[in-house]
Amino acid sequence: MEYLIHILIISGIYIILSLSLNLIVGFTGLAALGHIAFACVGAYTSSLLALNLGVSPWIGLIIGAIFASVLGAIVSFPSLRLKGDYLAIATFGLGVIVYSIAKNWVGLTRGPMGLPGIPAFKIFGYEINNVWAYLVLVLIFVVITYVVIRNITKSPFGRILTAVREDEIATEAIGKNVNKYKLIVFVVGAFFAGIAGSLYAHYITFIDPSSFTIMESIAVLLMVVFGGMASLGGSFIGASVLIIFPELLRFLGMPSSVAAPLRQMIYGLLLIILMIWRPQGLIGKYRFK
Amino acid sequence: MIEQILFNGLIAGSIYAIIALGFAIIYRTVKFFHFAHGVICAAGAYLAYTFFILLGLDSLLSFFLSIIIAGLLGVCIDRFVYLPLRKHKTSNLVFLFASFGVFIFLQNLIQLIFGAQILTLRTGPIKEGHHFLGAVITDTQIIIIVASLVLFILTWLFIQKTKLGKAIRAVADDPIGARVVGINSEKIILAVFAIGSALAGAAGILISLETNIEPTMGMNAILKGIIASIVGGVGSIPGALFGGLFLGLAENLGIWKIQAGWKDTIAFAILIIFLLLRPSGIMGVKTDKEKL
Repeated sequence: MEYLIHILIISGIYIILSLSLNLIVGFTGLAALGHIAFACVGAYTSSLLALNLGVSPWIGLIIGAIFASVLGAIVSFPSLRLKGDYLAIATFGLGVIVYSIAKNWVGLTRGPMGLPGIPAFKIFGYEINNVWAYLVLVLIFVVITYVVIRNITKSPFGRILTAVREDEIATEAIGKNVNKYKLIVFVVGAFFAGIAGSLYAHYITFIDPSSFTIMESIAVLLMVVFGGMASLGGSFIGASVLIIFPELLRFLGMPSSVAAPLRQMIYGLLLIILMIWRPQGLIGKYRFK
Repeated sequence: MIEQILFNGLIAGSIYAIIALGFAIIYRTVKFFHFAHGVICAAGAYLAYTFFILLGLDSLLSFFLSIIIAGLLGVCIDRFVYLPLRKHKTSNLVFLFASFGVFIFLQNLIQLIFGAQILTLRTGPIKEGHHFLGAVITDTQIIIIVASLVLFILTWLFIQKTKLGKAIRAVADDPIGARVVGINSEKIILAVFAIGSALAGAAGILISLETNIEPTMGMNAILKGIIASIVGGVGSIPGALFGGLFLGLAENLGIWKIQAGWKDTIAFAILIIFLLLRPSGIMGVKTDKEKL
């Protein structure tokens, strides 16, 4: 049972990542590929603050999310000049840079050895180390993320994002500062991804760079595309199905040396199939142009 | 010391140049990022391992067979994945993501078959290198540089001089005009995937001669290949050579004073700088102005 709850917690964290990436990729049409880098910054910031300075994980979570937003602002910079596959490659590159900083700045991050013993969240002096309690905590953040991103996308602001996606030049022609919208979208998306990273770190209590590889970024992108581009419901479906389904392989009694590559192979195959037959995803409203 | 760094840069750079060359030949024709190019490098290395170490074939025969099969693998990827996408007339981004899918699928297939452990093509002990112009260089490294040079010149001559090479250039420069004069572009696409992927397989073997074989080696290969391409000018053949050598030298000069782990950071910093300031690369022509 505990294991089942654990899977739900992980799904919840990935739902936050998928929702925030969907804002950038699905709603605004910016092909960003380094999403896990924001989670990496969030996770490392709040873990290091807690471990080295004894800062409460709650404050660390906020500071981590702000740091991730700063990175988001930096990542938005290429999107002002590049489009489509070139933007994808540039953001991919920034994702790899963040990963390699986490791996090589041993003095700060301890590199591949990782950071053990990250403290848990506390409420009124009680540590949230029970899986049920943590599930509730993650769900609260899922709801907050959903409400914020839903309000953004349903608002006049969101309609301009759609306009940027559909026709950038026309949007500029009606007097909207496209660059400003791109910047805001990246900052907001990165903020929530940073929260997801911090939730992950304080739950697992150990992080190392291997949790934030470029493959994870592709997996989050797959969740968004599979569930549905520009569909928040789709992100819930995409993240949950792609986290829960591979766990079934484990129940079939496969050793992890087989189950791990098999899971990735299914992801790869699914990505190919989606691109050929349904690039907008299961319940998506937008496909890459 | 500086001589050794330049040599190391030259060796790494010549391998990057071969990866970028195959990538460029494919890109010129199909105009999208064939990311799965990297996993073909890994496949080339594992095929060589299978023939040479597991089956005990002669080294040259093993390498030749591996390169041929790598070429076929590229053709299969095109037939089963890219051809349906071409029929839908989708965007470059969809091709790129499908290519990620192919990459992840094949890399993990390799891992499933061979396991995650590091393998090597080496059969004997490492020989001591020769002292040459103040640097130490091993026999294998000489082979790598010579082989890269030969591959590069052969490919260049093929593209410039042969009839098929001219048809490839024609389709790359003006697909509609090529169709008008009766060139079957689908056949040309098959040819570029065969040639480009054979080069990727060869690059994979060169990498495994210099270092080791592991399932994830394709990622590093394609990332360096793409960076070299973008630096030199995407789709440009001389650009691939220039970009590869530039990247190899820049990486190795960069880690002169800092730790070797920062190599990738340097490579990607170069990528971002070029993408932002000169996305058409050093030798690229600014044709796709709309997109950039």
